Amino acid sequence: MSQRATQKPDHELHYECVSFYNHEAELLDTKELEQWLELMTEDIRYDMPLRVTRDRGSDRSEFSDEGFNYREDWSTLDARIERFQSEFAWSEDPPTRTRHFVTNVRVKDVDGDELSVKNNLLLFLAQGEEADGTTISAERHDVLRRVDGELKLAERDIRLDHTVLPMKNISVFF
Amino acid sequence: MSLDDGDQTHGTPCERACERVPTLEHEMTPRAERIVDGVGESLEEGVLPAKVFNDEEIFEAELRRIFGQCWVFIGHESEVSEPGDYARRYIGKDPFIFVRDEDGEIRVLFDSCTHHGAKVCKAEQGNTSHFRCPYHGWTFKNTGDLAGIPLRDQAFQGLDTDEWGLHEASRVENYKGLVFASIADEGPSLEEYLGDFKWYLDVHLDIAEGGLEVIGEPHRWRADSDWKSGADNFSADSYHTGFAHRSVIEVGFAANEISGTPGQETQRHVTHADSGSTSLRLLEPEDEVFFGYPEEYVTDENLSDEQYDLAAACGAATGTIFPNLSFIHLAATNDPDKELDGFFSLRKWQPVAPGEMEFWSWVLVPAEASEEYKQRAYDVAVGTFSPSGNFEQDDLAVWDGIAEAAGSVYAEKNGVGYNYQMGMPGMSKASIDEDWHGPGTAWDDNLEEGTCRTFHGNWYKAMTDQEIGMSYPEDHI
Repeated sequence: MSQRATQKPDHELHYECVSFYNHEAELLDTKELEQWLELMTEDIRYDMPLRVTRDRGSDRSEFSDEGFNYREDWSTLDARIERFQSEFAWSEDPPTRTRHFVTNVRVKDVDGDELSVKNNLLLFLAQGEEADGTTISAERHDVLRRVDGELKLAERDIRLDHTVLPMKNISVFF
Repeated sequence: MSLDDGDQTHGTPCERACERVPTLEHEMTPRAERIVDGVGESLEEGVLPAKVFNDEEIFEAELRRIFGQCWVFIGHESEVSEPGDYARRYIGKDPFIFVRDEDGEIRVLFDSCTHHGAKVCKAEQGNTSHFRCPYHGWTFKNTGDLAGIPLRDQAFQGLDTDEWGLHEASRVENYKGLVFASIADEGPSLEEYLGDFKWYLDVHLDIAEGGLEVIGEPHRWRADSDWKSGADNFSADSYHTGFAHRSVIEVGFAANEISGTPGQETQRHVTHADSGSTSLRLLEPEDEVFFGYPEEYVTDENLSDEQYDLAAACGAATGTIFPNLSFIHLAATNDPDKELDGFFSLRKWQPVAPGEMEFWSWVLVPAEASEEYKQRAYDVAVGTFSPSGNFEQDDLAVWDGIAEAAGSVYAEKNGVGYNYQMGMPGMSKASIDEDWHGPGTAWDDNLEEGTCRTFHGNWYKAMTDQEIGMSYPEDHI
């Protein structure tokens, strides 16, 4: 990270990323999904590949390059959010209570206006009177891009720690 | 082979030594038997006892009488295209390895070392020439043959390795790429079992030039729903689409005339087609819909004129093959600004516990389509029928209530039954379409639930040790 167009020392960049994630998590957890979408660049790539248990010696990644739970662009995210506004979107009635815990934020690379950032996500979900809730664990590989001075999310690869999903549907964003 | 017939000279030493437990195959608790008898009686009135969706004794009996007997879907041959390709799969709750062996033959091996029983396959999918047990190191070829025993000269000098290969499913058959297995030694062949429903299955499997192939690995996820809720819904429940999926139509993920309001004139239900039933959302053959596929990907080579015309008119079809394989062939989109495109999905409802299932879903596309089309079709599938699918989210959101109520003491004490009477005399205008060209009984209105009754009727037959296969009007349900 010796060359940086952003001209900021490491700790400032790190702080800026953490602030971005805190803000993003708040929007997701308060269901401000239209505002959340505004954090994305127009060419956003938002993927959640399937994870598959492979032989320990396998040279193939556990993250599928063909199978996905999410493979979204701006328009498909927008359409999903529009659907959630409907009174007939049963998967979010009652709305899932979510808490996005984002930790271990690591700025891995800086390339012009773009930062490659890895972070850990612990997502707690509970719906209705469900007592236990569900916990999903993942690592996010993001590309954050500086647009007009502000960071926006340009790419997200959600790398689950689950192969079989412990949930009946995915009706939230990660 | 069993000890029952007194024949001690055949089979492996394991088979000779281990008596099969007859109670598991042929008996169920008196209480479960009463519930099953009740299903037979009440289904004739179009009512299904709630208990079947969540009951320990029924579940245990299902594992033996249904999953221990019927042909169960394992996977698509394109998932194991090369020798050594394998995937871990289940029949009922039992673990098997779906593998193409060195000789190119597809096998369904029981995932348990013949020595002390540990599992020999740890990955979900991969490629290997051998499976090695981590416990004592017994090693098996991907044919199932026992190939190696550590310290054999000192420890197992007299062992005949030919007799201690991995166990396997008694019967494995491939129907146009769909591999099924049965753990019953005897019974109808797969084709006999599929019966009349083959005619409809062929429309889906043969409409694309070069057939269909699986993309990626199957989606797998858990739900507090009984496995039968999924099978029932896809068997098919056309009534729910206008309400449960209303948001999807509103936003424009699919066309109302294809996936929305039921009760439209050209929609058909087919019931009593032996192993299955289906919903067909039809326009006109001249519309050349072909489930959303571009015309260059379809072929009339392997279909009759009637089957081809059916595909040409069809925008959406769902169906269930007893017991737990369903499918959807659909023209839809993941983006309302893009046009509708077609994909095919196979879905398996794997029983896990009473009122709990694991949902498996495979996405298939025309094998000879362009790479761009295949990726587009996959995206449409993810956006509609997958764990995050805009359609599918809402199905799973409602099914868990069924299992919760079914498991209640109230339902048991009061004999709660669910209403499946739609389409019975006096309920809807559905009547038999006498001009229909395909097998089974076709209804001129999809506001009828003979499809679901076909599934539950087959369930009743399997649970009472009868061969499945429903006909109408002989079977009034």
